[in-house]
Formats: sequence, structure tokens, C-alpha cells
Amino acid sequence: MSVGDILFWIVGLMTALCAVMVVVTQHIVRCAIWLLFTLAGTAGLFFLLGLDFLGATQLFVYVGGTLVLVIFGVMLTATGPFLQLRAGAGEWAIAIIVGLLLYGLIALSWLFADWSKLPESALPDDPRQMYHTEQLGRALLGDTSVQPASELAGVPGSLGAADKASGKLQEPPKRQASAFLLPFEIVSVHLLVVLIGAAYLARAKRKRVVVAPRESL
Amino acid sequence: MLENPGWLFVGATLLPLVSFLLLLIGGRHWGRAAGWIATAAIGAAFVLSLIGATLYLPYSGWFAHHHHGHHHSAGHEKHEQHAGPAQKAGHEHDHEHVTLAQREPGVPPWQGGLIWAKVSTGEPGQATGLRLGFYVDGLTVAMFVMITLVATLIHIFSTGYMAEELQDEVHDHQAHVVRAGRYPRFFTYMSLFCFSMLNLVLADNLFQIFISWELVGICSYLLIGYYYERRSASNAANKAFITNRVGDAGFIIGAAILWTYCGTLTLPDTVREQRNAKGEVVRVVEPGLFSRLRMPATDSHGTPLPAQLDEYIGNFARVEPISERSSGDAATRYRFSSSGPYVLLFTADHFHGEDLVLDDGISASTSPSATGLSVMPYWALVLAGIGVFLGCVGKSAQFPLHVWLPDAMEGPTPVSALIHAATMVAAGVYLVGRAFPMFTSEVLLVIAYVGAITLFVAATIALVQTDIKKVLAYSTVSQLGFMMLALGVGGWIAGLFHLLTHAFFKALLFLGSGSVIHGCHHEQDMMKMGGLYDKMKITALTMLVGVLAIAGAPLFSGWYSKDAIMVSALSFVVHYPQHMLLFLLPLITVAMTAFYMFRLWYLTFTGEPRDEHVYEHAHESPAVMTVPLIVLAFFSVTVAWGWPPWDAHASALEHYLDHEMPIYLHPDPDNRQVDKFLAPVRKYAEQPEAFPNVQLPEPHALAGLLALLSAGIGFLLATTVYYWGYLDPEGTRQQFASVYDFLWEKWHFDELYRWIAVRPALVLARVCRWFDLNVIDGLVDGSARATVRVSQWDGKFDLGIIDGLVNLTADVIYAVGAWLRNVQTGFLRNYVLFLALAAVGIFALVSYILALVG
Amino acid sequence: MNNVGLTQYLLIGAVLFVSGVVCMAIKRNAIGVLMGVELVLNGATVNFAAFARFHDAFRVEGQIFALFTIVLAAAEAAIALAIVLNFYNNYLTVDVDSAEELRG
Repeated sequence: MSVGDILFWIVGLMTALCAVMVVVTQHIVRCAIWLLFTLAGTAGLFFLLGLDFLGATQLFVYVGGTLVLVIFGVMLTATGPFLQLRAGAGEWAIAIIVGLLLYGLIALSWLFADWSKLPESALPDDPRQMYHTEQLGRALLGDTSVQPASELAGVPGSLGAADKASGKLQEPPKRQASAFLLPFEIVSVHLLVVLIGAAYLARAKRKRVVVAPRESL
Repeated sequence: MLENPGWLFVGATLLPLVSFLLLLIGGRHWGRAAGWIATAAIGAAFVLSLIGATLYLPYSGWFAHHHHGHHHSAGHEKHEQHAGPAQKAGHEHDHEHVTLAQREPGVPPWQGGLIWAKVSTGEPGQATGLRLGFYVDGLTVAMFVMITLVATLIHIFSTGYMAEELQDEVHDHQAHVVRAGRYPRFFTYMSLFCFSMLNLVLADNLFQIFISWELVGICSYLLIGYYYERRSASNAANKAFITNRVGDAGFIIGAAILWTYCGTLTLPDTVREQRNAKGEVVRVVEPGLFSRLRMPATDSHGTPLPAQLDEYIGNFARVEPISERSSGDAATRYRFSSSGPYVLLFTADHFHGEDLVLDDGISASTSPSATGLSVMPYWALVLAGIGVFLGCVGKSAQFPLHVWLPDAMEGPTPVSALIHAATMVAAGVYLVGRAFPMFTSEVLLVIAYVGAITLFVAATIALVQTDIKKVLAYSTVSQLGFMMLALGVGGWIAGLFHLLTHAFFKALLFLGSGSVIHGCHHEQDMMKMGGLYDKMKITALTMLVGVLAIAGAPLFSGWYSKDAIMVSALSFVVHYPQHMLLFLLPLITVAMTAFYMFRLWYLTFTGEPRDEHVYEHAHESPAVMTVPLIVLAFFSVTVAWGWPPWDAHASALEHYLDHEMPIYLHPDPDNRQVDKFLAPVRKYAEQPEAFPNVQLPEPHALAGLLALLSAGIGFLLATTVYYWGYLDPEGTRQQFASVYDFLWEKWHFDELYRWIAVRPALVLARVCRWFDLNVIDGLVDGSARATVRVSQWDGKFDLGIIDGLVNLTADVIYAVGAWLRNVQTGFLRNYVLFLALAAVGIFALVSYILALVG
Repeated sequence: MNNVGLTQYLLIGAVLFVSGVVCMAIKRNAIGVLMGVELVLNGATVNFAAFARFHDAFRVEGQIFALFTIVLAAAEAAIALAIVLNFYNNYLTVDVDSAEELRG
């Protein structure tokens, strides 16, 4: 077992344990803390995989952004009884059963999957050889010299696919303009829409009809 | 007599009959002595069986080979020595590897019998008749030892349990009557039962089995209704008897079909000594059902059959008629075809292998004949198999005829232990195992599915029962389902192995519950018990042994046999993935088994006493009851042990049965007589390394691990809820009120049968009465009133039927809508659960369909 | 489990995913449900990342989809929190069981 493997087991099991604790903990503030650890642990997993940019993004966006947002939410709504809303024993039982079923399903599909149908991986053993930010950015822009062809790639056409009859590789085009650019744009616009929507929804309203006057409680 | 030690078993069978007759004549005056007579008879039968067994072991060659341990290694040479029951008697003169090489030539097989009713078919040389015979093979021996041992212990237990029946006046608190004690009657019935049950196991033909079948049925009826003053007891006895009739009708039909086409009901080949024309005594081998139905590997002259028939050898030789040849000849001619509508029967003494592959087909008649080949329709064979299996469904309380067994718990507890747990209800499983070679692949699938449904349904019901005996009853139904499933998927050994181990631990559990009930003064509700461990330590500990055994805890006997069943099911599913359910259902049920058994034990023996009155008066039972418990507990642990004990597949008992397996299940390369449907399954179970394409861990390891994991989950859940008290069972019950009610009402089977069977019968009776009163009398009264009636009825028809139909449509749609409304709970969290469940369901469905297609 | 590879990462991802689903199913606090969603998305991200590392075919796709997921999760969190706050403003509770007006 290499150092990397040992680190994986430590970080991985910690992450899994924290995730389970998020579910088990009743107090919502503690939940948020466990979630923080889970997200940080996931970032650690990304680093172990050699995906530095992804790990950094995870830390920035999730731990730095989303979680802070969630904690704000907790603080804004954390009044007395809502801190510890409990579910009944039966709900626990059924949720655990469904969870086990789901986990069994996923584990089964992993067990029965025929991984040999995937193309043989030619990746380096050393995670430090993985793509870093520069290549990632170029691939995002569609530079095919970075991205080897695959059927799943966002690159249209049978780019660089092997000619089945001759077995020779076709000549790959030098540059392909689109690649992940379109999805990237879609996500950007989506994000913009969401931000505007969130701001609209959460804005302070001048209530004309008071549904449940605060004073009465 | 010692030339044929089979007579020992006949003696063991007749001893209880003698005891029965004695008790019948004078039993009512003997009081306590009646119990000792019956006990002595069955005890002596046990001794005889034991002697027989010790004589049998060297005879079967078990000593010589059992040290091979794993059947992987022993597999190859094993099958040469061990033929199926069908081959034991016949063909001594011809080829070696089907007969019993080490059963020395010249030594007659352990069988005998006589024909007591001759039925002549008018053909020369044809003497078909009803036989009264015995046939002893390894299965018989094992069943004998098990039945007599368990029965002896239960008899001893009963002398203590039934002691209060010795009084002149017995107060029956449930029926509120005072009656005379009926101690001798109990033992009279028990003796009759023992005789019938042993006779059932000993019989060599279906008709004799059927007679015993009915005899054990009547004993069951008499003993369920032992407290016949109680309305519930007499109803339960009727229910058991009537439900069994449904199955027995199937049995009769199946037997009749076999008799019609095969001309015999004898299962194995029989040897008859006959004088020929010169006055010499010659031994004639008369083929039994199995040899007639399954194609032999050689013809009657010992020549191996041609290789192009390999597909059919050991299977049902399916043929199709050649139509254009049928005009001129007297007999239709047939040729082999793997999906032909007929099955060739090997009723003849003489046929040549090369005759079977002639270009112009085989000549065969459509009625049984002693001189030539004959055929029977394939559908008739399937129907016969299903019919015989239906009998087993009734007797072994399988779905959908399982409803009688839980009600049968109205009988005294020793009866539940002996008849309704260890022996009689296992007779169905035994018969499926005994008649195994006559079942086609379609019938085997039916058997497997019936078993799978039964084991699941019964286990779910057992989860919510509170009557200690009802829990055990449903667990019995469920375990019998396990055995049926194992047999259906080709796990012949696994099914019968589980039958034997189950007999011990279930008898133990029932006697333990009897001891609890006795100690608590006939309180059966677990909700009123609790904390009894301090009061009755021996009972509690021995019952814990039983609970561990049935839950499949390692080193207890149930572990070995349940493992064997799971391996068989897994091997089957790997080859026929469209039948995935046959593995998943038992896997889930293993967890449920552990759950409800530990629930029973925790509720009874641990925690705070829930009813002070019951607790105050509870006491340990006398030694005459606890000693059988201890003996049974000992066997519940050790009966399946082999060397080393921690190897789940080194069980000595399992290897013993391995030697008795029908030859059609031995997947060895030089055995030509393998069943083509099951051969790959068996081969995978025993030699997984021969299947490099299957990307799964070794089946023994995988199935064993999954089963153990499943049982562990069940145990943990039961401990969490009922021992540590982390989860409140009451809250869970309210949460799932509808599911709980559904299970509490036993899946509404009783209501269903009331609607489809009982009500229609009553309605029919009323219709007949109405017919009598109105039509017959009405004719006499004249047509005028009839006309009035008709117009009245017409009016009712308009109002009732025409309007009713219109309203019904609306009502149905409304009801469906109202029901669907419940799905929209409005709770976010329920929707999440629905989503997750739907994901699981869709995945299961898609993989099922893919398995079906691919 | 001698060598850490794809399957081990997938297992961790599955744990995160299932924890998330169970979390959504049993938390009565709306924010708790939101946390469940985050866990589910994280499980998916781990899967993407694992494939990116261990299979050539997904070397870039894995990372890019993981990035998209993170970004979408952030957006989802923002909008969901806005909804929760709105709900809280109107009903003065964050118990999702009180939001049952869509009951059939």
C-alpha cells in the first residue's frame, strides 16, 4: 500500500463518515458543520486524484460560497423548535431500508458492470501527470491536441476514431471550434438567470396581505 | 432376514402399528402406561433404524469415500459408485457405471414387496398391479433415523406435557367445559401417525405413498382436533383436512395419468423372482417409473446408445410422429425431436439402440405395453408432475394452500412439533425429492417459484405475529418454501439436507415453546411474556440454540443447509438470469427469518415482564420435558457437522446425501445421463472454475457471504428494536398501519378463499334451495305466478344489472381516483422516497427485461 | 481492496449519494433537505472526478462535467435558499411537512 492509498482510505472514510453524520445528526447547526467536513473531504479526494483545479474550485465555490450561504440560511431561520425537527421511528426505518436498497443497487451495478468494454486506460500512474488548469482550459475551448477522441467527447463527429476496416487512425482535424464552448456558455447564462431569480425571490417584499402576522406568535 | 436388512425398517414401521392396535383395544384403562407403550414402540423403532443405518453405511460405500471432503474433489469418482434410486435395482447384468459397483453383485438391493391387487390389461405377459413394497436407500435411511429419533424425544416430552390429561376431570378454560382426561387417546393417535409416516417414507410406489399420505392426513386431523370442544380447534382440523383434499385431488390426477401411460406406479426398478418355462428361478427386473420416463444410456443389451442421441439420454426422450407413415402401419412411427409433443417410454425389456435412429422412425404404441416402446403426450407428463406436486403443496403447506398450517397450531404443542414441523409437513418435500426424476423442467420451475413465493409470504406474515406458536408455524411454512425452492432449482441435496436439519431445530423450537406455554399455564401471547429467562434458563438457552440454528448462525446446523440452498439458487440464477427472483427472495427472507426469530426470543425471555400474573406463576418444566430439549439442542448444533466444522461445505450429512443424489444431477463428464436443464447449474455449483465467462466470485463464497450478511442485518435490526429498544416498535407499526394490517390479516388469504370458495358454495346451496322452492314448487303452483315472478325478476334485472353496470363503471373510476389520491401525499420527503424507490424499481425491471432478452 | 482504483472512489461517491437521498427523505428542516441535495451532487462529482482520473476516455470530460456540477450546485443552493426564506417569511416555519398544499 502506497502513501497515496493510505491517504485515500483516511480521507475517503472520513468523508463517508461525515456524510453519514450529516444524516444522523438532529441539530441543524451541527449538520452544517458535518457538511462542511464532507465537502472539504471531497476536495481532498480531488487533490488525491491529481485534479488540482477541481479541488480548488470545490473549496472556493462549495466550502467558501455555497456552505456560507447555507449557514446564513440556518441562522436566518434558526428559531427554537426548528433547530431540532425529528422524524418518526417508522420514517427512519423506511428511509434506511430505501437507502440500503439504493446503495445495494449502485454497488450491484458496479459489481456487474463490464469495465473491460471501456477503452484501455493509458493514463499515467502518477497523479501528478494529470491535466492541469492550462490543458483543461484549452480542452474547454476545443483544442483537440489536448483531448484524445472518444465517443463521449463533446466534440462532434468521429474525430480521430479508428477506421474499423483498416484499423488505422484517421487524420484528426487540427482544430475544432466548438468543443465544450457551447455547454460552457449555457451554464454561464443559466447561472446568470439563477442569480437574478434568487435575488428576485429573496428580496424584501412590501406585503400587502399579511398571511400570518409575526406579532401574533 | 439379515440377508436383506431392509426388513429391519419394515419392522421399525410395524412397531408403532402394534402399539396403535394395543392402545386401540385397551388403552383407555391403562393411564400413564399408554404413554410408555407408545414411547417404547417408537423408541424400539429408533433402535432398529439405527441398526439398519449402521448396516447401510458400509453398503452405500460412504465410509470409503467420505474422507474426500469437498465434493469438487470427490465429484469424479463419486458418480461411478452412486447411482440414483432408479438404477439401483435394475441393469445389474449390463453396464457397470450405472449400477452400484461397490454394492457387491449378487447382493439383492434392500427392497421387497408383493402385488396385492392385480389389474390385468389383457395383454400377454402384462401383470400390472398395485404393489405393497418397501424400498430402502440412503434417503430412506436418513429419514427413518430422523423421524424415529425426533418422534421418540417428542413422545418422552409428551408424557410430561400431556400429564394433566391423566386426571379424571380436566377443565378446558378455552372451551369452558369440564371433561374427562384423554391421555391414552393422544398416544394412540401418535402411534398411528408414526406408523403412517414411516410407511410413507418406506413405500416404493406412489399408491402406497398415497395411502400413507391420507393416513398421516387423518392423524393430523384427529390431533389438531384433539381439544375438539374448542370451536377453533375443530374448525382448524376441518380446514386442514379440506385444504389438503385440494392438493390430494391433484395427486390422484397425477398418479392416474402416470398409471394410464406408464402402466406402473412403482418408482424405482424392482426385482422379481420368477420361474421360467424350464422351471428355473430367474430374476426379472421390472422397470419403475423413472427408468420408463428417462432415457437410459444403454439399450437393453448393454450397448451404449448412439452418440446422436446424447441430447436425450438421461432426459425425457421427446419424439414427434411422422405423419405420412401413419396410414399403412398399425402403429404410428416417431422420430426424435427436441420439442416433440410426445415422450418415448422405455417400457420394453428389449430394444436395440440402433432401432432408435432408423430413418423411418421408431415404432411405438400409445398405450403401455410390456413388449414394445410406447409414447405419452408431453403435456400429460407435465400435468402429472404438477398434479403430484400439488399434493406436495397441500401437505407441505405451500402457497397457495399454506393457510391450514398456522391454524393447525390448535393441536397440543408436541403434535405441532412432530407432525406440523418435523415430519408430516416435510413429507411433501420428501416426495418431491423422491419423485424428482419424473419432473420436467416446466414443473421444476413451478416448484421453484411456488417455494420462493411461499418462503417470502410466510416470512412477512411471521414478522408481525404475536402468538408464539403462530410465529413458529409461519416460520415452518417459510422454511418448507426454502426446501421446495432448493429442489426446484436442482439443489436436490440442499433441499433434503435442509429438511433433515430443519426437523431437529424446528422440533426443538416447538418443544421449547411448549415448555414456555406449559410453564406459563397455557399463555401463548408473547406480548404477555418477557423476562422469562430468569425463570426458565434451560428452556431459554435451548431455544436460543434453535433460534441461532434457524437464523443460520455459523457452526449451527441451519447454517450449513441454508448455505447449500443459497448456493443452488445462485447457481441457477447465474444460468437463468431471467429467474433472478429465485435468488433475491430467499436472500431477503434470510434477513426476515433472523429478525422474527430473534424477536420471538427477545420478547419471550428478555426485557421487563409485561404481565405480572404470567411472570409470577412461570416455572421451569420438569426434567422429562427439558431433557428432550437438551438432546434436540445438541443435535440442532451438531447434526450437520463434518470436518472441519467451520467449513460450510464439509458437512458429513451433506456428503452422505451427495451419494444418494439421482444420477441425472451428476454433471460429470463421463455421465451421459445428465438432465440437460439442470446439468450446467449443478456443474457451476460444484466446479465454478469451469465457467470462465461468469465474472462472479466463487458461488459458495458469494452466496454464503450474502446470506450471512443478510442474516446479520436481520439479527441487528431485531436486537436494536427489541433488546436495546432504540426504535419503538409501536411507532413503526402506526407508521405502516396499512402494511401492518395487511400482514396481520395474513395477506387476506382467508378472506380470499372465503370469497372464492366458501361463499360460492353457500350461494350455490342457496340457489339450489331457491330452485327447489320456487322452480319446482312454482311449476306446481302454475304458470301465472311464474309469469309474475318473471316480470318481477325482469324489473330487478333492469334496475339491478343494467343500471348497476352504468353505476358500477362510474363507481370504479371514482374509487380508482380516490385511491390514487393517496399517492399525492403533499409531503416533500415522501416524494423523495418515491423517487429513490422508482429508481431502484426501474433498474430492477430493466435488468430483468435485459436478462430476459439476453 | 489491494489497490485503490476506480471502484473504491465510486464506492465513496455512492455513500455520499445515498446519504444525500436519505438526508432528503428524513430531514424535516428545509435547510437539511438542501444539505441532502448538496450531498447528492457531491457524490456525482466524485464519480465524475474518479472517471476523469482512471479512464482515458473521460480525462477532460470528467473534470469539465464535475466543474459544471459544482457551478450548478452553487446556483441551485442560491435559488433553493431563496425559496426557503420565502417559505419562512410566509409560514414562519421551515418544517417541510407543513408545505403540503399540493396534497391530492
